[in-house]
Formats: sequence, C-alpha cells, structure tokens
Amino acid sequence: MSSRLPAQGVPAVSDPVRRPSRRRLLRHAMAGAGALLAAGPLSGCASPASASGASALSVWDLFQGGDGMLMDDMIEAVSKGAGGAEGFEIDRTILDWGPSYYTKLAMSAAGGRASDVAAMHLSRLAGYAPGGLVDAFDLDLLAEYGVTEKDFTPAVWSRTQHEGTVYAIPLDVHPFIVFYDKKAAERAGLLDPAGELAPMGSPEALLEAGRALAEATGESGILFGHVTDTAQNWRLFAGLYAQTGAAFDLPDGGPPEIDVDAAVRVVTLMTRLFDGKTNPNNLDYNGALAAFSSGRGGMAMLGEWELPTLKKSGMELGAAPFPQVFEKPAVYTDSHSFVLPHQDSPDPARRREAHRYVAQILRQSLTWASAGHIPAYQPVLAEPEYAALDPQSSYADAAEVAVLDPPNWFAGAGSNFQNRMCQPLQSALLGDTTPEKAVRQMVREADTLLRQPNPVA
Amino acid sequence: MTTTAPLGAEERTAPPAGSPGGRRSVVGRIRTGNGLVFVLPFLLVFGLFMVWPIVQGLWMSFTDSSLALRDTGFVGFDNYTEAFGDPDVWSSLGNTVFFTVVSSVPLVLVALAMALLVHSGLAGQWAWRLSFFAPYLLPVTVVTMIWTWLYQPELGMANQLLDTLGMEPVGWLSDESVAMWSVAALTVWWTVGFNFLLYLAALQSLPTTFDEAAALDGAGAWRRLWSITLPQLRRTTGLVAMLQVLASLKVFDQIYILTKGGPNGSTRPVLEYVYDVGFTGYRLGYASAVSYLFFALIVLVSLVQLRLFRRED
Repeated sequence: MSSRLPAQGVPAVSDPVRRPSRRRLLRHAMAGAGALLAAGPLSGCASPASASGASALSVWDLFQGGDGMLMDDMIEAVSKGAGGAEGFEIDRTILDWGPSYYTKLAMSAAGGRASDVAAMHLSRLAGYAPGGLVDAFDLDLLAEYGVTEKDFTPAVWSRTQHEGTVYAIPLDVHPFIVFYDKKAAERAGLLDPAGELAPMGSPEALLEAGRALAEATGESGILFGHVTDTAQNWRLFAGLYAQTGAAFDLPDGGPPEIDVDAAVRVVTLMTRLFDGKTNPNNLDYNGALAAFSSGRGGMAMLGEWELPTLKKSGMELGAAPFPQVFEKPAVYTDSHSFVLPHQDSPDPARRREAHRYVAQILRQSLTWASAGHIPAYQPVLAEPEYAALDPQSSYADAAEVAVLDPPNWFAGAGSNFQNRMCQPLQSALLGDTTPEKAVRQMVREADTLLRQPNPVA
Repeated sequence: MTTTAPLGAEERTAPPAGSPGGRRSVVGRIRTGNGLVFVLPFLLVFGLFMVWPIVQGLWMSFTDSSLALRDTGFVGFDNYTEAFGDPDVWSSLGNTVFFTVVSSVPLVLVALAMALLVHSGLAGQWAWRLSFFAPYLLPVTVVTMIWTWLYQPELGMANQLLDTLGMEPVGWLSDESVAMWSVAALTVWWTVGFNFLLYLAALQSLPTTFDEAAALDGAGAWRRLWSITLPQLRRTTGLVAMLQVLASLKVFDQIYILTKGGPNGSTRPVLEYVYDVGFTGYRLGYASAVSYLFFALIVLVSLVQLRLFRRED
C-alpha cells in the first residue's frame, strides 16, 4: 500500500488545487482504515487486562435468571469476606448455558486463555478431564480451607474424579423430581399421614396415581413436557432405567452395554404413563410448566430448578424425589461443579486463591439452596436453616441415590447424546414407534457415537 | 461508489483528447491500474475472512483436528471415507434437499403472485408492500418464537384453528412427516418479502408497449399475463430461483432454534449436522470434511442452474 500511494501523488502536482486535497483525504482515510485493521487484534488483547485489573480472580459460569442473581449474592458475600475471611476481587463472566458454553470452555482451555475457575456440570467432566482441559484440585489446599471429601455424598463425589484424581468440586445436586399439588394429591389419596407423597413401589402404583390425579383435578394427572425438548425424555428414562438396577455403560470404542429388556420395560412404562388419556402427552416443556402452574394437572415431572417459578403459582406445592417404582432407589441428577480450566503455567498464588474461592462459595450454599438446588456441601444440609426450607428439604435425600449420565466425552448436560436419546423416546411416547424399536434406535445411536474417535483425549 | 461518481462526472466534462493538461489520462490511470488501491481493503477482508478459512478448512478436512486440543494429525481421506459411510450425513443431506424443494417452489411462486397482485394496482399499495415485506425485517429469533407459539401443540393458534373447524390437532413440530413442512411454512412467511421485492422491481421496469398492443388486439388479462408478462420475467425468475435455492440449501438457524433437528432427526439439515459434529462434538476435521462434501453439492447445483439459465437466454 505504502509503495503505491506516493506514485499516485506525483501527477497531483499539476492538478487543480481541489483535487490533491481530495486525494490526500482519501489517503488519510486509507491510512486510518489500515490503522484500524491493524489495531483491532491488538486492542482485543489489551482490553480484558486493563478492564478488570490483573489481580481479579476470573470466574466463568452459566447461571442466568434467578440462579444468576443468587450467584451474584454469593460472590458479593465472599468478596466482602464472609465469615471473617479475607475478601476477593472477582471478575465474573456469565455465558449462555447450553452446548455453546461447553464449546467455549473447551476452546478457552485448549487456547491457553482460560479463567481461573469455571462452573461445569459434573456429567460433562469425562469430556474434559482425560484430555487435560481441566486441572486437578489440590485436596490438601482445599482441606486447609475446610473442605474435604467427607463433606460430600459418595454418589456425587465418585463422579468428581478421573483415574483417582479429583478434577471437580460439586456445588449442588439438581435432581429430576416430581412436584405435586398437595390438595389434588390429598383428594387422590396419595399422601401419607404426614402430608407428604407416599411411596409408590411399583409401576402399577405410578399409573394408578396418574389416573387418580386426573380424576382429582378433573383435567390431567401427571404432566410431562417433552415435545421438541432435547433433554426431558432422557432425564425421565435414565432415572427409571437406573431404578431397574441394570447398567448403562458407554465404553470407548463401543459397543454400548445396555440391558435392552430393562430399557424396553422402562419405555413401555413411559408410554403407558403418557398415553394421552390421563394427560395430553403432546406438551412441550413450557406447555407442561404452564399447565401445571395453572392447576390443570396434579403432578409434574420436572427438574427442581423450576421451584422458584412454581412457587409463584400460589398452589399448595409439594415436592418429592422421583418415586421409586422399580427394584432399587435411584434419581436422575446432575451437579453444578467448579473446575480449574487448564492453564499451561498457572501462577501458584492465583491457584491458591482459586481453591480458597471455591471453598468460600461452598459455604454460601444456603443461599444457593433457596432456588431449589440441593447443596452438595453436606454441612449445610445439617443446618436448621436448611431443614426449614420447604419443600427443598423434602427431596434432599435424592443426593444419596444420584445417578448421572454415563461418563463419556460426548454425554452429559446439553450434549448431543442427550438429544439423540430423546428423539426415539419422543417417537415412542407419541405412539409413532414401539418401545422395542425406540430402544433399538437408542442402542444404535449410542454405538455410532462410541465408534467416533475421541476428540478430547 | 461515492469515489467513482465524481470521477465519472469529470470525465464527461473533460476536454477532448489531446487538449493540454492531460486530465483524461490521469483519470484513465486512476480508473484502471490504480483502482486496485480502492478495492484493496475489500480484498484484504475477503482474503482474511473468506479465502483463508476456505483453504484452512480444506486442510483441516484431512486432519483429525479437534476444537479442544492443539495437536493435530494428518489422516488423509479418512474423514471423507467416514462421511460417505455415515448415515447421518446422508439423511441430513436428504433433509436439506427436501427443505430446498418444499421451500423454494412456494418462495418463488408466492412472491410472484404477491408482486403481480400489488402491481395490478390494488388500492392501498403501501399497506400491501409493507405487510408483504415486513416479516423479512424480523430477526430469526423473533420469527421462531412467534411460530413456536403458533405451533404449540396445546394452546397454539394453528391447532386452535383446526379445533374450531372440528379437525384433529396436528403435531406441527413433533410429527416426523409434518415438521419439515412447518419449517418451510415459517420460512416462506419470513423471507418471501425479499423475492417479492425483486419481482416487483422487475415488473415495474417492464416496457408497457407489448402489453398495451396485446390489449388493443383484444387479449384478455390472463392471456397477457401468460404470453406477455411472464415470458418477460423469465430472467428475473431465473435469478430469484437461483438465489432462493442457494439460500434454502444453507438453512440452519430457524431449524436449530425451532426443533434442534427433531423429531428424530427429520428436520436436521446438513449444516446443523456439521455444527453438531464440529462445535458440540469438537471434531473439526470431520465437520470440515462434511462441509466440503456439501460445498461440492452446492457447486454442482449452481453449475446446473447456470446451465439452465444460459439455455433460457
């Protein structure tokens, strides 16, 4: 560019005064544009540091809405130095929850520009720990700040590790549970003397409960929104399947280890439960939520994170762990956890602060529990303030029998795997295919995913 | 544009060739050789964000490159072999082609019908133009949200309407045989305004002489439409059809928001498969290979269209 511009300027000498000025203007404009182009990437590098200050601990999470505000409160509390501890300077980045969050997290770790601490669903850890996208926690350091293995339930703690090393510290457990209208459940005769949902114990009892609730409300029995949803069917299936005691394993390279008979049993129950008689069975997620909160159904199968929304409905709301209807108790769950995204040469002092931060935030779990989540940090559950939280405390036991997605790089919250499992299940629930065919397709899909080369290890 | 217009104006007022000052030669030089300077910024950006990624993508399609790792290995044609044997590639390609057919045909015909209606001199011209074009101005998220409500199985307007007519509800987004048609309907409503505008512009620039002569000879309105107007619009139709087919082949966002490719993969276009494999599955190398297969298909379609277009001329 620079070699051509002066050449152009030569004939300008003989030109009328007006023209060189225009050319000069153009030249300046060009130079300006070039400067802008050149400066863009540079300023991109410079701005984050200058905006936040090098000392602030950078934190990434995916908590929006009500959860996001609670996290704000918790961060504010630890920043000020809750419980007499030293405070923090926190630079929080909230990213949109979903597949894109995990893409960004992986890229930031692979690209060497990761945050100091990040939130992650525990079910996704298998896609991050083996490939070195997250760094291990120093348990001694955590213990120094008062957090040890003993503070978590074994069901959850066992998923924080890869080859015996701990890579994630769970903040909560968020199970798939049932919400019910206490009045309708009472009329349907489903409550125990204490006024809580009585155990069911068999598939028939669950079906009967659906019919009784439909009669009690005069509209629908058990509501479930699954149409065009990428996770709901899987959550319901995975919980019920785990109750059969059968294994659902996804070993690298395949084939998937799935008990087809048990899976067919579960899908058959699902199709009978949502046969369109005691409930519309064509609801999407928001449709089911709206129908339940406006009293058009006696019970809804949802994640506990809907608690704040449902509390506003004004009904007498009950909540319970997902009913056990097969051989053993199990509840489908995931867990928001903290991880240390990989850094090539972490600053020991910052790493120390990151550990201290995680420990301090866990102490704020009571705030987090107000949204409906079960704190993973057990000492909080023992506090009288937690016992007073209703209906949160009534499903706290779910953490004991938590079942997460099978650990594999492609599975977990917001993954392709969940979406692919939901599709055949939806076909079966809508009556477009049989439970046998749906299960065969699920096995086939899992096999296809397993036979792909692992891109994160 | 602003730079060439004044130069052109000066050229018109320039003295004849050979006159002193040599203004013309200066202008000529600026317009030919040195013109490169003016397009350089564009070329730079084009090269940086278009040509380079294309080359880079081609290279990646021969590697096992992953979004989450820095190490990359050359794998030759492995990705292509895998893609050819991957039923999901073929089903999503099939979905893309199906969508292109069921969306492009109405998008051309409806746009033509709308343009003819408006051009025929209906009262309230501005209102028609606005209402036909307005949906095109909406962002995809808004459009998808509106139609998600319309298609909502229980409370949606589409099923409510069927209910009042005494008909059975339809699983607009949950029935595998219906879902792609629902997506096509949304797309037609949303984007037909652009084709409508192209047709309207073409109609307004048609010479009226043939039409008037035919009318004097006693040809009726239908006859004139079939024998005079439509043949004269052939070039525009070629253009509209070509742009539309290319746009439809690239469908992604409304489907991704509306159905995430469901039910049962029946609306998953190939670009969503590329996205799923590359961005949520981290397999960039494989995703690049699938994109290159799709790229080959687009080139093929474009060549066929160009051929047809030429023959019409």
